[in-house]
Amino acid sequence: MEKLSFAEIDNTVNATLEPPGRMYWTVVALLFCGVLVGAACWGWQILVGIGAGGQNSPVNWGTYLINFVFWVGIAHSGTLISAILYLLRAGWRNPIARAAETMTVFAVCTAGLFPFIHLGRVWMVYYMLPVPNQRTLWPNFQSPLMFDVVAISTYFIVSVLFWYTGMLPDFAVIRDRAAGVRKKIFTVLSLGWTARYEQWRHYSRGYLLFAALATPLVISVHSVVSWDFALGVAPGWHTTIFAPYFVAGAIHSGLAMVLTLMIPMRRIFNAQRIITMHVLESVAKTIVFTGLIVGFAYGTEYFIAWYSRNSVEMEVFALRSTGDFALQYWIMVVCNSLVPLLFFIRRIRTSIIWLFAISILVNIGMWFERFVIIISSVARDFLPHAWGDYAPTGIEYGIMLGSFCLFFFLFFLFVKHLPSISMTEMKELQHQAGTHD
Amino acid sequence: MTDHDIHITALFADDTRAADAVTALRQTEWPVADVHGPIPSQAISDALGIKTSGVGWFTLAGGVFGFFLGYFLAVFTSARWGLIVSGKPVLSYIPFFIVGFEFTILFSVLANVLGLILLMRLPAHRDLPCYRPECSADRFGVVVGCRRDEVPEVRRFLTELGGEMPGQADTQRDS
Repeated sequence: MEKLSFAEIDNTVNATLEPPGRMYWTVVALLFCGVLVGAACWGWQILVGIGAGGQNSPVNWGTYLINFVFWVGIAHSGTLISAILYLLRAGWRNPIARAAETMTVFAVCTAGLFPFIHLGRVWMVYYMLPVPNQRTLWPNFQSPLMFDVVAISTYFIVSVLFWYTGMLPDFAVIRDRAAGVRKKIFTVLSLGWTARYEQWRHYSRGYLLFAALATPLVISVHSVVSWDFALGVAPGWHTTIFAPYFVAGAIHSGLAMVLTLMIPMRRIFNAQRIITMHVLESVAKTIVFTGLIVGFAYGTEYFIAWYSRNSVEMEVFALRSTGDFALQYWIMVVCNSLVPLLFFIRRIRTSIIWLFAISILVNIGMWFERFVIIISSVARDFLPHAWGDYAPTGIEYGIMLGSFCLFFFLFFLFVKHLPSISMTEMKELQHQAGTHD
Repeated sequence: MTDHDIHITALFADDTRAADAVTALRQTEWPVADVHGPIPSQAISDALGIKTSGVGWFTLAGGVFGFFLGYFLAVFTSARWGLIVSGKPVLSYIPFFIVGFEFTILFSVLANVLGLILLMRLPAHRDLPCYRPECSADRFGVVVGCRRDEVPEVRRFLTELGGEMPGQADTQRDS
């Protein structure tokens, strides 16, 4: 690990908060335009009805659910990096933990929009809350969809609190170096943190408990998301493998998104001494691991279908790889299971271009994984006369574009206004290694 | 007004020296009023004799409360329906565990935050006269109480221990 003084860490991170140039605001403006496109499409759908999207019987869950699961999945590796690797004392997580946590928060925000969008009549959202509706009916907690409401809401609240608590000492660093309005803002945000050991005593314990609680939470949340499907009696969905399969896939996609975000960030902010090649290489190695799990799950699904001797189950899986959705299926297999194997080659996992390219491919593959799972099972259900096809409409594409733009818009705003690298955790890392001055 | 009405902050470049200073000061009559630093340090905590935080009790209480609240909510709302859904009994205790589990985590975390706020006494926006901005950056600050006539002696003592006292006029204030 490279030797960095505490002052160098502070200087590097504070430099990211310098007033941005015209290029930055241009990109932010473009992303905001994308958000407006998505909002306009959603507005149009509210105006004319849910039929503006292409989701109809038998495929009632189209891109809205695909994007929901995709974004929840992206969120998961943030918690893996910030909580699970914290408990495992993996030092390479420290430089990217803050950005990964931020990714979690914004990805959950983006994911959380899709159930609202898919509701159609969004003003009926209170049906999902534990309050009686006008017919004095309460939500039914036997439904996996209600499990999902509880799990995602909990995940969002916990992620935001974990994220904010982690930033408290860094807010104080910025406050102590700032002047004027910025000083006032960070004085409020830091809640008067003075780094007293009486504060550190409680903070360290509380942060550890946060990590310990976030770890089972992250596993439960994507398990619950998987049960939206697994508890439904549809061929290809109704299997016990779904929970671990979804959790591994979520972490796989999230790690790829971490690379997609970190590689430009370290270059733009000249943070190569903090987000080192070792850090990126460690993420790549973890992607190999999760890619192998995901590949194993793809194979196991086929084994389960074959072993069940259930003709419908076997046919659904045969059609996945050879039928109308074969292209999407093979994109999924190649991008998620085969391409990451290139990271076994050291020259590739230490090349910025390869790392970035493969991270994009994994993201594409993981989006198609959700497409294959959600669409292919219900499009080829038990009864052949009920089979149908599905293609997203322009409104759905617009909303999807809006969701991607919203995520990157929020992330872009974050990296220039709040500390995107945890100064405190970097200092702790240097201190543990005994390399700081 | 106490006997030790002056507070002096000495800055140390690393936690080991700050911890040694705390240990040395505890052999004297000058009390260590506070220690500030940019990172948590086991050496300083040991020197100060700091005990483990009690925030975990808040977390535990929140978790227990959340578990029962989640279970109660699921049972209560299902009892209001009285409908058999998907062949499951009206009170399906096993799936309700999921609601109980999520509420356990949610209320553990909320109680954890509440515990942190209460125990760390945040928000605390009043000025701390002895707080030095360097302590959030790269220095460990040891705050020592003494009488006005002892100030030169305390400064000399802290300097011998490796402490820096830049802007000494600022560090010497009434408590």
